[in-house]
Amino acid sequence: MAVTMEAAPAKSRSITAEFMKGLVRENPVFVQVLGMCPTLAVTTSVANGIGMGLATTFVLVFSALIASVIKRIVPNEVRIPIYAVIIATFVTIADLVLKAYFPPLSASLGPYVPLIVVNCIIMGRVEAFATRNAPGISVVDALGMGAGFTVSLMVLGAVREILGNGSILGFALFGDGFTPMLVMILPPGAFLTLGILMAIFNALKANREPVLIRT
Amino acid sequence: MRKLLITLTLVMILSGLVLAATFQGLTDRIEENRVAALNASLAAVFGGDADATFAELPGSDETTIYEGTAANGTALGYAVRLPAQGYGGQITLLVGLGPDLRSIRGIEVVEHIETPGLGGRITETEFREQFVGLDTQIDLSYVKNIEPNADVNEVQAISGATITSSAIVTGINEGLAQAIPAIEGRAE
Repeated sequence: MAVTMEAAPAKSRSITAEFMKGLVRENPVFVQVLGMCPTLAVTTSVANGIGMGLATTFVLVFSALIASVIKRIVPNEVRIPIYAVIIATFVTIADLVLKAYFPPLSASLGPYVPLIVVNCIIMGRVEAFATRNAPGISVVDALGMGAGFTVSLMVLGAVREILGNGSILGFALFGDGFTPMLVMILPPGAFLTLGILMAIFNALKANREPVLIRT
Repeated sequence: MRKLLITLTLVMILSGLVLAATFQGLTDRIEENRVAALNASLAAVFGGDADATFAELPGSDETTIYEGTAANGTALGYAVRLPAQGYGGQITLLVGLGPDLRSIRGIEVVEHIETPGLGGRITETEFREQFVGLDTQIDLSYVKNIEPNADVNEVQAISGATITSSAIVTGINEGLAQAIPAIEGRAE
């Protein structure tokens, strides 16, 4: 399920470091390569990317908080079903809230909101971090991972919307002379963009932190 | 073993309670949104009269018919909600008809899961406004890459989305073939 996960308790690490690792060093999309289904499917526009990112962050933060609070009373044998129920509860809440307060966004994300239940970033962070750390720092970790996921989806959405539709956040960028590269908002465009962004991300990371990535 | 069952059951019950409360709190608002979205689509097929009222008439299995009345009491005509089998799945359309049922006033796409940028362009004004004024007595058809002739009910297909364009045309033809006799039968 995961590539590299923190196992050790994070007592000695600062809150900032715990938050920032989700953005760069352990970015869920570009480094851990988690949550690929929503990443590839909904990033046809910036708005969709932000919406999905924030909905996932909401579920991630509350699931991590609850999982961390109840970690001592949960029997080890049934921890996965219990976390799944908790995650599904928050996903359903997020889905209902989107339907009630952001109907257009809810319509454009479609079935991908309920599918946050099976987004492995959430179960991954709950298992790898929240159940081994205090509630406060687990929330910080979840916020960092959520922010990393949201920013990644936003960037993917921006590249695909600009090239594939000639617009950003729905505003047309170019005149009538611009022919959109339709492939960019189709599934192949998702893979192409993700691959290229991942390569750029890893190249930048390798230049900046040559030692850290080998730990 | 007993601890397993108790913990799991407790979590399930708590989760159920939280969800029931959330649903209770939001369900009215979700229903309001659904009705508001339907009314906005209905108003849009008649040129965006926000104060118009719509009454649902008994339709057939697949179509729903709404009778529109403007704020000042004049009849706007009828809107037919009908399905079309698109490329990605079912498309739901609203087709507005004049009070005499002879011409199309406008169409709105209520729901679709067509490919964004290709079939998804059926929601764009340029595609939809081709249908305004078309005759309901002749079947619609579509053309590709040549100028459509509106006099014989031709519309321009979306480039790269022939299946979707064809689905819309077929869906409207079939839906209206059911709905128009139903409305006429009711009036008699």
